[in-house]
Order: sequence, then C-alpha cells, then structure tokens
Amino acid sequence: MSGAIVLALRLIIAIALYGFLGWALLFLWQEVQKQSISLATRRIPGISLTVRYGSGPPILKHFAQPEITLGRDPGCDIPLIDDTVSTRHAQLTYHHGQWWLEDLASMNGTMLNESSVNMPTVITSGDEIICGSTSMVVTLAANILIEPTQRLEKKND
Amino acid sequence: MHDATQSRLLRWAALFLFIQSTILTLSPAVRERTWDVDYRFMHWLGFFAWIALMALAHRATIKQLPERDPYLLPTAALLSGWGLLTIWRLDETFGLRQTAWLAVSVIVFIFALYLPQNLFFLRRYKYVLLSGGLFITALTLLFGINPLGIGPHLWLGCCGVYFQPSEPLKLLLVIYLSAYLADRINIRLSSLPLLVPTLVVTGISLLLLLVQRDLGTASIFVFIFTIIIFLATGKRRVLLTTVLFLTLALVIGYFFIDIIRVRVDGWINPWDDPSGNSYQIVQSILAVANGGTIGRGPGLGSPLLVPVAISDFIFAAIAEESGLVGSLGLLVAIWLILARGLIAALRAVDRFRRYLAAGIVTYFGIQSLLIIGGNLRLLPLTGVTLPFVSYGGSSLLTSFIALFLLLVISNLADSEPAPLEDPRPYSILGGILALGLAAVALTSAWWAIVRSPDLLSRTDNARRSIADRYVPRGELIDRNNEPINITEGESGTYNRVYLYPDLAPITGYTHPIFGQAGLEATLDDYLRGLQGNPASLIWWDHLLYGTPPPGLDIRLSLDLALQSQTDQMLGDHAGSVILMNAETGEILVMASHPTYDPNKLDDQGNSLSQDLDAPLVNRATQGLYPIGTALKPLVQAEFGKQQPTESELKVFYQKLGLLQAPAINMPATFDVENSAIQNLRISPLQASLAISGLSNHGVMPTPRIAMAVDTPEQGWVVLAAENKLVEVMQVKAADEAVLPFIVAGKPYWSYISQTSKDKTTFTWLTAGTIPDWGGTPLVLVVTLEESNSSLAERIRNTILDAAINQ
Repeated sequence: MSGAIVLALRLIIAIALYGFLGWALLFLWQEVQKQSISLATRRIPGISLTVRYGSGPPILKHFAQPEITLGRDPGCDIPLIDDTVSTRHAQLTYHHGQWWLEDLASMNGTMLNESSVNMPTVITSGDEIICGSTSMVVTLAANILIEPTQRLEKKND
Repeated sequence: MHDATQSRLLRWAALFLFIQSTILTLSPAVRERTWDVDYRFMHWLGFFAWIALMALAHRATIKQLPERDPYLLPTAALLSGWGLLTIWRLDETFGLRQTAWLAVSVIVFIFALYLPQNLFFLRRYKYVLLSGGLFITALTLLFGINPLGIGPHLWLGCCGVYFQPSEPLKLLLVIYLSAYLADRINIRLSSLPLLVPTLVVTGISLLLLLVQRDLGTASIFVFIFTIIIFLATGKRRVLLTTVLFLTLALVIGYFFIDIIRVRVDGWINPWDDPSGNSYQIVQSILAVANGGTIGRGPGLGSPLLVPVAISDFIFAAIAEESGLVGSLGLLVAIWLILARGLIAALRAVDRFRRYLAAGIVTYFGIQSLLIIGGNLRLLPLTGVTLPFVSYGGSSLLTSFIALFLLLVISNLADSEPAPLEDPRPYSILGGILALGLAAVALTSAWWAIVRSPDLLSRTDNARRSIADRYVPRGELIDRNNEPINITEGESGTYNRVYLYPDLAPITGYTHPIFGQAGLEATLDDYLRGLQGNPASLIWWDHLLYGTPPPGLDIRLSLDLALQSQTDQMLGDHAGSVILMNAETGEILVMASHPTYDPNKLDDQGNSLSQDLDAPLVNRATQGLYPIGTALKPLVQAEFGKQQPTESELKVFYQKLGLLQAPAINMPATFDVENSAIQNLRISPLQASLAISGLSNHGVMPTPRIAMAVDTPEQGWVVLAAENKLVEVMQVKAADEAVLPFIVAGKPYWSYISQTSKDKTTFTWLTAGTIPDWGGTPLVLVVTLEESNSSLAERIRNTILDAAINQ
C-alpha cells in the first residue's frame, strides 16, 4: 500500500521536475530566436580621430571596433604621452546606434566641445575631445548602420 | 514578466522539493512494508529553510535586479534544494551543516545584491584578488587539514568549520582573466607577450594545486584558462593545444604520480579490482544501474554504499533514487544554467562582463562534466564537487557568488550588447558543453538501462544482501518437509538460520560479506523469488520496493533422519558419504566432513577459508580422490578377468561420466588434468553415479538434490531435472557383476578398497542394493581420508539397513 502511494508520488515528482524544465526550455527557445535576430541586425560604423599631441602635427587614427580607450597606459587604443592624462582616461563606446564618450574618473577630466563630460555623452562628426592637454577631432564614417528592427524595439520596452 | 517567470519556476521547484520531502518521510514505511515505522522528519528543516531563503532571494532580486535573467535563480534553487534534500537523506548531520551553509551562501548572495552593482571593483583589483586567493590557498600548504582525516590537505579551518580555498580560487581566476583580457583589446595569438602575465599567474596557481595534489581543481584551471583565451582570441588552435597538453600531462602523470595512475587504472579497467582501487567507481556505476529508468524513489535506494556519496558521488546517489528520469532532468537543469549564462555573456554590455559570464559558465560546465563524467566512468575520476548540488560550504558559497555575478551581468535595462566581432567561439563553447552533457546523458542511459541487469546480478552488489534483510528468503526443507535453512525475524532484520549446521558444505550459506555458497548459491534465484514467481509480480515489486518478491521454498531430496545418523557416525573423520536412489538419482544423504557452522560465519568466516582442513569444500561433489580400485566391480563386469588397456579404460570411464562434471545444480568438479588414466581422481558423487548401474540394471540416472519449488500460483512444482538415463552396460552383465560382492544375509553388495597418494591413505566403500531387491534401488559411497575400513563398514551397515527398512 505504502509502496503504491509512494509510486504515485514518484510519478508526480517527475512531472514537477519536467514541468519546471519544460516550461523553462520553451521560453528559452523563444528567447534564443529573438537574440539571434537582434545580433544579426547590428553593424559598427567606423570612427576616425584626428589626434593632436601637444603642438605636434595631427595624426589620423581609424577604428572599426566598439570600444576605444584613451589614456597614458600603452595598452590603450589611443596612448596619450601626456602627464596631465590619467592611465585610463576616457573611452569611446558604440551602443544604441551611437558613439558615446565617457570619462573614466580621470584626474583632470575630459572636455567635449569645451564642456566637461560628467556622464556618457553622444558624439558626432566634428566634435572636439580634450583630455589633459591633448585634443582630437572626431569624424564618423558615412552612416551605413542598419537601424534596429521593429521587433527589437518591442523587446526593449 | 521577468518576475512572474522567476516566481512560477520557483514554485515548480518548491513543488518538486515538497513531494521529494514527502516521499522521504514515507520511505521507511515502504522499505519495511508496514505503516508502523519511525518516519523521517528531520529533512523538513532543510526544506523550510530552503523555502524561506529562496523567498528572500526572490524578493531581493526583484528589487535590486529588475531586468535580471529569470531562469538562473530558480534553476540554481532547484539544484541546491535537490542537493540539500539528498544530503539530508544520506546523512542528517551533514544535512544540517549544508542547510547552515545554504543559509550563509544565500545571505551573502542577498547582501551582495545591495552593494553597488559595479563590477569595476573586480576589474581594477584583479591582481589583489587573485594573489589574495593564491595566498590563502598557499596557507593550506602549512595549515591545511582534511576534515575526513584522510586525503589531500586542502581545507583551512577550525572548530568544525572548514573552508576549501581552491573553490573560490576558480572564480578569482575567471575574474582575473576576464579583467586582464578585457583591458587589452584585440588580443591575437601573435601578440604572445600580452598573454605572458596570464600564463604566469595561471602557471603559479597550477603549480600550487599540483603540489597540493588537488588535481581536479588543477584541470579545471587549465580548462578555464584555455576557454577564456579562446573566447578572446577566437583561435581554435588554443583548444587543440590544451587537449594535447592535458593528454601529455595525463600520460606523464600516469608514470610519475601514484594517485593519477590509480585513478586512470581504475578508469580503464574498473572490473579488475572492484573491491580495491576501483571500489568507488564500481559502486557508483552499480548505484546508477540500480536506479534504472525511474529510480528507486527518494529514501528507497542504497546510495550510502558509494563512498563520499554526499559530495563527489552525489550524482550517483541522485541517479539511484531518481533514476534516468531524474538524472536527465538534472543534466537539463545544468544545461539551463549554462545556456542562460552564455546568453547573458552574449548580451553583456562590455567585454569584461562578457568574458566574466562566459568564464563562469565554463567553470560551472566543466566542473559539472568532470565530476558527473567521473561518476559514470566516462572520464577519469577527479575529486571535485557538483556546483550547487554537492555537500561543501566553500563550493556552495562560490557557486552562489558566481550566480550573483551572472545575475548582475544579465541585468540589462535598455542597454545594448557590446558588438560581437566573431560569434564562433561562443557557439563552439556552447557546443562543447552541450556535447559533453549529451555524452553524460547517454552514458547514464547505458548504465541505467542497457547494462543494468548484468550489473545488478554481480555478487559484489551489496544491494542484494540489503534486500535480503527486508524480503524473506525461501526455505530449504528435506523430503519430509523438515526445515533445514530458514529465514527468521521481521522486515528489516530478516536473518538466515541454519537448523542443521552439519549440512553446511552441501546447502552452503548466504551472507552479506562472504557471499553465497552451496545450494544457497545455485538455487538463489528461487530462494530470492526471482524465478518461479510470475513476471508481473517480480516487475511490480521491483518498481515499488526495488526488491524481489518474497522467496520460494525448495524441497530437497535429502532425508534428515538418515542424514543425521550419517553425520553422527562420520563425526570428526574427514571424508564424505552419499546415499543415492540408483533409479531416479535422488540424493538421500550427502555428508561432507569436517563441516562448519554457518550460523557463526560472522566470527569465523575469515578463518574458515584459511582452514587447511577445507571445511567449506563439499567433499561429496568437489573432493577428488584417486580412483585406485574403487570401481573394481564395474571394471570386472565390463572386462572380465583380463586387464583392460589404457584406451579401453578411458572409453569406459568416459561412458561412466568420470571425465566430466556431473549435471547437478550444485558446485561439482571433475579431474581436469588427468594425465594417466590409472591416476584419475574422481569425486564421490561421480563414483555413486557410476555404480548406480550395478543396482539399477545397467542404467545410470542423473543426480538430483533440488526436487520441487513451492510457487504461489501452482503450489509445489517439480523442478525439471535433466533426467538423462545412460545405459552403461547390458542388463545381464550388470545384474551378474555384483554377485561376488554380496554381503552375507543382506540384500546389498559392497566392495571396499584402499588407495594412497602423497602419504595419505583413502578408503573407498561402494555398495548398493542387489538387482533382485524389490524396493527402491539404492547406492552408497563412503570415502574416508584415512585407512579405516571398519568405520566405512559400520556406516554401510547402519545407513543401508535403515534406508532399506524405511
């Protein structure tokens, strides 16, 4: 008798386990689809920076990556040989279809078009960025980016 | 939406654990098949603690991480609750400790949620964190202990609280590598100098772990390092190099490090040494096999037979009690965490978070695969824990901190993932983990279904003797229904009692340590109820209780009255006596002395097998004695006065069945290495079969000792005997052959001979009823390991007279 009752419970336990998993996997599958669509619709527009080290001649640098760091550290993408610049001074990141400038808590701060950068700020062609005593001018590549689809916008709500 | 998903999944998990706890409470009633038992209640403490802690964690995540992944917390909760209840079921002391550790882990988890969720701290202090971790791990070199008392000294602690620093070290390595690689953009393999610091740091960690003989963690370090570098560089040759490196390390380790050799040998050939070096792995596979498809049910298996079932072998314990259904569910739950973790990695807003999430997935995935694969003999055994499930405070705490990091990374408001230059490494990582889990699932199915019947009938499967305690074993009774071997006690304490110990060499014994012997071994399927019962009953009992149905009684052909007379007369003399019905082959008396008392096996078992007098051997069927002239009446009947040639004799012996083992369902032997036919050795059973032709008109029967079995459906059913009658000589020749040997005034013939070998003299007495005798034809063979014709004759007179006058 006890065996039969427990057998019934053992079947219910299996149902509970697979109820958990089945429910989770169904939703997971839907999400994987959404994710792959959203990733497939994204491109990074290139960015060029005309860097002027002190009084030297301007140097043009072109990037096709989503994260660009500026700082005194040689590991940075744009190493700045300038004592007024912090090790990791600022970074340029591409997200939400825009390039953003963000100050990385640098000692002397970062200026964008002569105003101080306190929060991530959208930049555009012709903007001038000043870190310490180094300045650079931004040039964005032609706007080839594909805007997020309707479906993606819905998801982000 | 997220909150509802998480809440619903948590409720499913709670339902699962609630039913599991209920079954665990009821399990003693099922085991003993009565409602009057001590039920288990202690584990409800763990269950309610789990409910409270998970409710708190659920609320805290809703508040602090509104956009988190809603699957990670419920799945981790399911795994940790499942592990917790399994540990409670295995050992209540450790269950209580694990409950305390779960409380600590979840409280740390919740506390971390209320810290600023800025992982920059981890990124900036990567070196400090990792070197701190290494320093603490290094302390185990000096102050390390092992709570179990044996094994590597990998723990720090005192006063009953122990911590294994190599557990969090894995997470610290993931953090360090992610931070280092995220700070250096576009790492290429060609820029090897950039990788040097990571190589140095990983190398130091590895060295430390190797010195500590913590090989499981060391191999996990290698995998974590490789996969994170692979994700950062996207070069598949990184993976290839590591596989080569690990193989090489395994080969070198095999020749120079003992523990590796033992593990690898135990992995390749576990069946060579199932009670020694491969004990753990063999027991683990047996547990999986015992689980079968739907498992024995929580509390109803015997997972405690596997050493360290609470930590290293918890998967085997779960597989035994939840079956393939449960272990596949467990694997899918692990896959859910890994898959959600990978998605969190892909969606991460920067590369540090992406590497960190992928690294944590690697850590969970590889560690789970290593230990489950080790449990299933898919991989060599590495002593690591199963994240969230195994017993172990350090492991549980680290797992929950890693879970916290994954949740924080997955908590994306409306931010957009960092662009992914090359998605292939992530697909490959996902593919490797999925393939690994699939391989583990297939191996589980292999042991649990395909190989299960073979494995469970192994004699070193202790579950059989555990089942014997809960299910009555069939009785052995004599031809007049006098009990010989019976089962006494109640469910849970059933015990075999041997009422007639002098028969021990014949009927044998069944014992949890010394196994089975004699008729108890050869008739085991009937006595255990696996044969003779309806297949549906066997199937149903296995499903409900994991045991066979009650065993069936077997009637033997022995006659206890004659048997006890024989045993009294044989006394301390070494030798054997067989009294057989010459027509049907039924054995009425079978004595083998010296004998032993199987009721005292617990104390004497070890010394018995060393005893030079070999009391365990059934001399009647397994004792081989030089033939000498024992069969003279037969030889004379066949060849007359002339001396037969060697080849003639061989043909004759062949016909008498002396060159093969008699067909009887008990251990019986014959002289395998007979070189010269004159020196042939035969067993008393062979002799009694050979001479039965003399008392039965030249026809030799097949010997029988098990007569009938008492089945539930049809009552006593005759056990089909082979009953192959062999005509060994002409009726007339046989009837005349015994005339010179008839004992005066008795209805039987008799012949005594002596032969010696290696300074021992053996006395053979063969006797039988005369062909004219109207009653049951009988033959008697007395074999004494001494020169004692008078004793042989006295036995003959007493036993044959008694048998004839019956």
